[in-house]
Amino acid sequence: MKRFGLKRETAVAYAFLSPVLLFYAVFLVIPVLFSVVIGFTDWGGFDLASMHFVGLKNFRQIFSGQSAFVHPILTNTFAFAFGTVAISFCAALAVSFLISRLRFEGLWRTLYFLPTVTTIVAIGNVWLYLYNPTNGLINGIITGLGFRSVNFLDDPAHALPAIIVVGGWLGIGSSVLLLSAGMKAIPEDFYEAASLEGAGAGRQYFAITLPLLRPTILFVLITSLIGGLQSFTLTLVMTKNGGPGNATNVAALEMYNQAFSFGNWGVASAMAFVLFVIIFIITIIQLLVFRRGGVESYS
Amino acid sequence: MKPARTPWISYALIVLGSVIMIFPFLDMVFSSFKSASEYASLKYSLLPKTFVFDNYRMAFEQLKLGKLFRNSLIRSVSIMVLVLLTSSMAGYVLAKLRFPGKQLIFRFILSTMMIPTFLFFIPNYYITVHFPLVGGNDWLGQNGNGGLAASPLGLIVPFAVSGFGIFLMRQFMITVDNAYLEAARIDGAGELRIFAQIVLPMTAPALATLAIFEFINSWNEFLWALLMNSVNGDLATLPVGIQTLKSYLDPTLTQPLVMSGLVIATVPILILFIVLQKYYVRGMMHAGLK
Repeated sequence: MKRFGLKRETAVAYAFLSPVLLFYAVFLVIPVLFSVVIGFTDWGGFDLASMHFVGLKNFRQIFSGQSAFVHPILTNTFAFAFGTVAISFCAALAVSFLISRLRFEGLWRTLYFLPTVTTIVAIGNVWLYLYNPTNGLINGIITGLGFRSVNFLDDPAHALPAIIVVGGWLGIGSSVLLLSAGMKAIPEDFYEAASLEGAGAGRQYFAITLPLLRPTILFVLITSLIGGLQSFTLTLVMTKNGGPGNATNVAALEMYNQAFSFGNWGVASAMAFVLFVIIFIITIIQLLVFRRGGVESYS
Repeated sequence: MKPARTPWISYALIVLGSVIMIFPFLDMVFSSFKSASEYASLKYSLLPKTFVFDNYRMAFEQLKLGKLFRNSLIRSVSIMVLVLLTSSMAGYVLAKLRFPGKQLIFRFILSTMMIPTFLFFIPNYYITVHFPLVGGNDWLGQNGNGGLAASPLGLIVPFAVSGFGIFLMRQFMITVDNAYLEAARIDGAGELRIFAQIVLPMTAPALATLAIFEFINSWNEFLWALLMNSVNGDLATLPVGIQTLKSYLDPTLTQPLVMSGLVIATVPILILFIVLQKYYVRGMMHAGLK
């Protein structure tokens, strides 16, 4: 291939890349370093001169006995992440299996995907109405069956599960998409051969579909877990500050409120750092798994 | 593995699931036509007794939906255009040119996709508000009235580059045959012209995917827009404006108006998605889960 001078090619390349590199310097590299620094200060976000270095004080504070950060907030974060993943994954596995055997596969997939492209503000408010203790649909069904109505979002025992259900419902669509694509990649011959040998649908599912789908399943589980650990928009919309008490509070929401409601930027950045380390460990596990696995997404 | 017999049980299950998925949307649409008294009545019903179309007129008045809609549109279109531009330029260079530092920059861009977004709220809020020489700020970013957040730039600039977008465009541009580029170079075309007139038109499907993906995601983005709105109340987008104004209105009287606002915020995007889903879904497959 005819090249123009390497020196000129380099100049052109960096000219094309300059907006991107400048952006990453200002909105990614500096912020990440800045964020780590803030975690070791008592800063309130006003004037850079008012920033005092306090060592590990913020970290000692959030891990101390009086702090709600480890329990219930981090516990809730994991409950939310595992709960939503469990609901969305099990539902998605069933849905993607069913629609692969039915007509109008695309139509079903679209229906299950609609919540994913809807603003969380709409999702949260509509579900608040469905959960309403006096005239919500869900309590209508519960009382119709002869049980007492439940004040889902004001009752500390029911609030977190109520939000987890919505979060799980919300996540079904994207998991269906990935699992369906994974199923399509399994060669039809395998099923034909199994049919000839007399294997029924159930046998085929457990002996062919599930084992060959393993890399996709792992990918879906890990990425949705990472997403669940950092998700807090739904909790913010449905409960404002993670209430009642801290019953629904999660780490990223607590960070957001510590910074922007209470002005404790130092404590908030320390929380962000802790949550980041947790997510980073899971990301490393993911990379190790997929170096051996077969999903090309991160190649 | 399509079985010969119609699997009625499978159809029943999938329809039941679909009802659970779309019921909240139906509830939103029908609630937006209910009168305030019916909305607050003691018994739940999906359908309104009488359709109150006036809710929409009042929602436009009280929630200032026109202004919110304009802000959302300005933001989504601007981010979409900027991301298309920056992604295709960087993608082209990373796919087709040879230069020192290329592998390093590509690895860096891949790794940016794995940094969780919550990490950026605090530092980027400060940087945006104290951006030098905009919104009245001096060159140290002080003494102004909001920096980038003094104008819609605050909603747009922090989203102008997407690691996912660069990755998508690079993967697509690698498949463009080098023979086209060579021929153009022999004819004396400059690099900018090769990029704009030869490579870009060939990558139209990838650009469409990225455009619809960025438009929908920017439209629905809530947390950053909420922060910008706290600096400058003129910057409210549809989700932010409805959520914040909701708390100022009397809930017993105005819930149906909130539902009307949410219909205006979601239905255009749902229609856009359904029409262009082929492209959106391809973007999702590349991004993995959000």
